Amino acid sequence: MMKPFRKFYIENKEKFFGYLLRQTGNYHLSSDIMQESFTRCLERYADREESSALLYTIGRNLLYDHSRKSRGDASYDDELHGSGIDQEETYGIKEEYQRVLRAMQKLDDEERDILSLVVSSGLTYREIAKITGNSEGNIKVKIHRSRTKLKTILRQE
Amino acid sequence: MKDYLISMFVDNELDIDEKIEFVETVHDDRFFKEEAVLLLEQEKMLQGDMVATLPHVTIPVVSEKESWDFRSWFLPMTGFVTAMVVVAMVYFQNSAPAPISSPALAEHRFVIYRPDVNKVELVGDFTQWTPVPMEKIGESGYWTTKINLPQGEHRYSYFVDNDQQMPDPTVLAHEQDDFGGVNSIIRVVGSI
Repeated sequence: MMKPFRKFYIENKEKFFGYLLRQTGNYHLSSDIMQESFTRCLERYADREESSALLYTIGRNLLYDHSRKSRGDASYDDELHGSGIDQEETYGIKEEYQRVLRAMQKLDDEERDILSLVVSSGLTYREIAKITGNSEGNIKVKIHRSRTKLKTILRQE
Repeated sequence: MKDYLISMFVDNELDIDEKIEFVETVHDDRFFKEEAVLLLEQEKMLQGDMVATLPHVTIPVVSEKESWDFRSWFLPMTGFVTAMVVVAMVYFQNSAPAPISSPALAEHRFVIYRPDVNKVELVGDFTQWTPVPMEKIGESGYWTTKINLPQGEHRYSYFVDNDQQMPDPTVLAHEQDDFGGVNSIIRVVGSI
């Protein structure tokens, strides 16, 4: 039987928001994308069993669209992945975590994407490999590489 | 050396053979062990509290409510509309004056998801603020009741287990009432 969507929402909202926040470092942007993702998940797939993998796929696509649309806007990349996170974006984020997010923004897009998924979603390597278009053998190497790179960045700060 | 075993250990992805390999490497290789501890500490930080409050998300209720509403009152209504057209034609043919219609009522289904409680009641201006018990839908966690509402704006909320008042989480519009509670506001469009 299909799980009631509200239950699905309650079970996933915190982890999913964590994923978006680790990806963007921006509270408002993450809120908007979370709203849009859950809405799409419900509207388009109302007849299917809800799955967290689907939710993350939708969220990931929305993030991609957003970054592509903003590509013309030079300030976007600077704000998000260049000079770090400005004050407006840190709204709502705990101070001690801001350092972690700043470090995450210095990873490559793919590294940040993979690490955010691993840390936040609770999905298996197999599911993450599928979502990100990697082989299972490849994903474990990439996950570990992203982790050690983050360690180096955090150390340099 | 298979460094990635550390990440697989952190993420609970090791199978039994890899566990053996991991433990042996931790035992034999000091660098590997230190790296594992550092990455576990980093993971603790990564998994840490990020925000004090999560943003509010409005969940549209396509599958849980609106489609039920649609089926429960729209389809019977089409039959009703046809009947009214026939009646009207008869009236006009006999040149009788059109009837003065009483305020139209539309059946509205209220649904709330509270699997964790024993009793849910609906109170609203249309019940003269008298609690109306809601019916539990099996073990689904949903409570429901149908009420015929006159068209216009209505205010209501739910009473849970006799002591907690809550607005309808699926309705955006709400307002504070005079007693410290919050009421949801809906607009009912009359059937004919």
